[in-house]
Amino acid sequence: MLPQFSYVRPDTLQDTVRHLKEKNAAIHAGGTDLIGCLRDGIMQVDKIVSLNALSDLHGIRETADGGLVIGALTTITEVAENLLVKQKYPGLSQGSSEVASPQLRNQGTIGGNLCQKPRCWYYRGEFHCLRKGGNTCYALDGEHQFHAIFGHDLICVITHPSDTAPPLAALSAQLKISGPEGSRTVPVENFYLLPVEDLETETVLKPGEVITHIVLPAPAKNLRSSYRKVRARRSWDFALAGLALALEIENDTVTRGRVYLSGAAPVPWRSRPVEEAITGRKLDAATIQKAALAVVEDANPLPENTYKMDLFKGVVEEELNAIR
Amino acid sequence: MAEQKNSYYTQGLSVPETPAPGEEPAFWKQTHVVGKRLPRVDAYERVSGAAVYPSDITLPNMIYGAVLRCPHPHANVTKVDVSRAKKMPGVRAVITGQTPEAKKLKWKYNDYSGPLFDTHCRFEGEAVAAVAADTHFQAWDAVRAIDVAYEVLPFVADHNKALSDDAPDIHDSGNLVGTDEYERGDVARGFDAADVVLEQEYHTQSELHTPMELHGCVAGWDKDRLTLWESTQGVYAVQSEIAEILNLPLSKVRVIGHYMGGGFGSKLKPGKYTVLAALLARQSGRPVKLILTREETYLCTGNRPASTMHLKAGVKKDGTLTACDFTCTGPSGAYPAGGTALVDWQIRDLYACDNVRCASKDVYINAGPARPFRAPGHPQASWALEQMMDDLADKIGMDPVALRLKNIPEISQGRNQPYTTTGLKQCIEKGAEQFGWKKAVERAKAHNQTDTHIKRGVGMGACVWFVGGGGPPSTVIIKLFRDGSVNLNMGASDIGTGTKTVMAMVAAEELGVAPEVIQIEHADTETTQYATPSGGSKTVPTESPTVRNAAIAVKRQLLEMASEDLNVPASDLDYEGAQIISRNDKNKRIKVTDVSRLKKRGVVVGVGYRGPNPPKKSVNPFAAQFCELAVNTKTGEMQILRFLSANDSGRVLDRLTYDNQVFGGIVMGIGFGMTEFRQLDARQTGRLCNRNWHDYKLPTALDVPVDMESLPIEIDDPEANNTGTKGLGEPVTIPTAAAIANALFMATGIRFTRAPVNPIEMRRHLTAKKEG
Repeated sequence: MLPQFSYVRPDTLQDTVRHLKEKNAAIHAGGTDLIGCLRDGIMQVDKIVSLNALSDLHGIRETADGGLVIGALTTITEVAENLLVKQKYPGLSQGSSEVASPQLRNQGTIGGNLCQKPRCWYYRGEFHCLRKGGNTCYALDGEHQFHAIFGHDLICVITHPSDTAPPLAALSAQLKISGPEGSRTVPVENFYLLPVEDLETETVLKPGEVITHIVLPAPAKNLRSSYRKVRARRSWDFALAGLALALEIENDTVTRGRVYLSGAAPVPWRSRPVEEAITGRKLDAATIQKAALAVVEDANPLPENTYKMDLFKGVVEEELNAIR
Repeated sequence: MAEQKNSYYTQGLSVPETPAPGEEPAFWKQTHVVGKRLPRVDAYERVSGAAVYPSDITLPNMIYGAVLRCPHPHANVTKVDVSRAKKMPGVRAVITGQTPEAKKLKWKYNDYSGPLFDTHCRFEGEAVAAVAADTHFQAWDAVRAIDVAYEVLPFVADHNKALSDDAPDIHDSGNLVGTDEYERGDVARGFDAADVVLEQEYHTQSELHTPMELHGCVAGWDKDRLTLWESTQGVYAVQSEIAEILNLPLSKVRVIGHYMGGGFGSKLKPGKYTVLAALLARQSGRPVKLILTREETYLCTGNRPASTMHLKAGVKKDGTLTACDFTCTGPSGAYPAGGTALVDWQIRDLYACDNVRCASKDVYINAGPARPFRAPGHPQASWALEQMMDDLADKIGMDPVALRLKNIPEISQGRNQPYTTTGLKQCIEKGAEQFGWKKAVERAKAHNQTDTHIKRGVGMGACVWFVGGGGPPSTVIIKLFRDGSVNLNMGASDIGTGTKTVMAMVAAEELGVAPEVIQIEHADTETTQYATPSGGSKTVPTESPTVRNAAIAVKRQLLEMASEDLNVPASDLDYEGAQIISRNDKNKRIKVTDVSRLKKRGVVVGVGYRGPNPPKKSVNPFAAQFCELAVNTKTGEMQILRFLSANDSGRVLDRLTYDNQVFGGIVMGIGFGMTEFRQLDARQTGRLCNRNWHDYKLPTALDVPVDMESLPIEIDDPEANNTGTKGLGEPVTIPTAAAIANALFMATGIRFTRAPVNPIEMRRHLTAKKEG
């Protein structure tokens, strides 16, 4: 059952921001996550601000330097199928095509995908958990087989549900954000907040702020990117473990590498140990073996999700073998 | 009247011989309609949206119901104050345990009877109060405005802890629902005679019923007459239970259930929601629609109980099974509901074994009561038995198919009487042949020798279904109109299996009419005849012989009528296509539609009854399933590559709906074996964690193979009933998960004793194996 709310569909960004500034306002883009959040009563919403009249926020265009700008309202399907995205950033195309199900990809937007609320069953269920203002993380001592092995600090063990954020972060994408104080640009890698930084919210978005565009830098000449996702069932499911790679490879040697994990932490998780294990090295069996061990170096698994240790190792092995 | 082309008495179609009065119809040797692939007679309605399901019902002045449910797994309700809710806008009825019309009412679970609103709430989701208001939103607002206080009690959510000393008593009698024991032969002697004895513990998780249409109904009163539009598997079952609870004559309760969106056993009976809707409708004087939410159905409309099983089995080197010793503990939930019902039947009956002992323990836990779930008990024990069979085969160096073929029983050992027919041997043999079992095993083993982390496996399992022969009572009426078109009237529900279609085919076969001129009237206690609910894979073997009998009754009357026109005795007459002719004088013939009394009367009404089943014989369907799959041993991901199901369910009536059942059963079995599990927060709050379709994981289209094959093993079974049919809906899902587990063993060398095996479980075991 949905709560009572008012609904506006402003046709300027200025009006949008004005509405969003109000207390308990929420954004409606594709609505695939919003409807569930409203129905489950996980947040207080008095006003819903639709972005759907903002035509500037749709579509994908190439920038002068060869990068891409993706409007926040572009559907996941459009991102997954766009030829420029496929050519320049296969990792983002793969990440997008791994999202949810075809129906949800047709309806959901890339901006919304980045701003999803956590999928922890305690958070979504009728449990007054820490993130909803309660005083306990039920998952910590409860059923946490789907939960985080990094970055939870034993405070809140959600995993971030997005499949597009890890490849975007690996590809050094930036987010253009508009808000009451004008616009600003935030790299995707700095967009998310760990539980230790803030328990109430998952992103740096302030009241009234909205992502308008995603800017991808021109791909380096030797860039290879990929995204791999393992899940409990093969469609309409979030990652148990995922791996986004953005590697620059010259003469078989990794000259620069950015590696992000999904299904691992409350935020898209940068795996610096893997980056260090492969940078400056050829992707041979020994390096891959090292990288596989490195991926779980700093992990802090819980009793029911230790399987993720070997799972991440396996994914790193498979994907480094595939990309070399 | 002009004959319509292709409608009445289709040209050239022969009609089965009409048995003389008092004689049983002969077994169909050759059929013209039956056995074909016919699309559903109601396909247009279903696809176009014209079909009206209970969820679609909208009546003038109809209002909406909602139920306040206990959020705790175990609690005493100490206060229910509805004064604020009653004053909310749009609210027209509020019912609690203190409402006079509800106070005296009882609600039953098997032989347990308690108050409709019990202040002692024994599971999360138990009803505490109900409201009805002009809109859905107002009803839920009113539910939230009810001031209710609980004394929260300690709970037990794990069936393996239910009988421990520190578990709280859920009922005054304790937490044991009951035990069941069975023994034949001498198990100890059997083990002594064995060359190999193995034992293993097995676990299966609780599965939740997830029919597409939610549980619920619309209830409306007309003076003292109640009409219910209920999403149900059996309108007469709902009628009798509601009439009993509300103390009404059967004639004052009409239940309509033309279309319904699936039940899988959870809609064999009315729900408490049905009674609440009726009470709200009476109090408000308006029809009330009460359709539960998915979250509510996951809490309180049933489940397949979890199981903890132990199986010890002995075998001789030549493959002869010498003994089986089986125990099982399973939870009914908060009330007696068959927590271990039929769980040992595979052990008792499937394979030949002289020495068998079974013991099961049904226990209470603080969770929603179980309800029958497609082949109750069977997939659980199949998970244990079929894996054990493979382990025994492995130990004695025998092929799993050969071991099973070595142990085909001659009779139903569980009942100590013969089967009318058993296709177990053919299902295994022909299934293995069609699947290419030997080659597939060789191929998988050769593949696994190569340097790859993607391993392959093939596996199989067989089964018997406990019932599936159907039986009386059933009454069907067929009306033949003067133009030869037909009305078929039966009480049975079509729960999505194609019942209407196959019954039209049976009538068409017997009467020689085209199935599309048959109008079906069904599942309405006011206008159609008594039928038991569609469950237990019994609808086809119960209703199709009845339909045939009704058609024969029509034909017999027409012969009598024609004898007046032709001036020969009826015993000399029979059908030839669209005509009735004299056997002795082929010149004496009359078109059926020219028969004078048919023309005058306008209709012939034939009544058919379901005759008895054969005495001292058991009618059971059998199956064997085979699968091939691949496992990624780095990530634990699995892909089922193909599945084959060989089914002995007697005669195939409609090959299309038959195959639909087979594929649906495999898909559901994949859910049981690989994706679905109820997760209770057993160590903290006892509440349900996964109450939506993301967290409760049904298999998706990508989780099931494109390559699914249905292989009917049709064995003539004239003894079973006059159509030679046996049930299909349940055997198709019994051995699926076990076949998968056996294939996983070949791929990984790991015995997966806990269902479901998802990538989490797989990855855990791969790690455990690596670490030794």
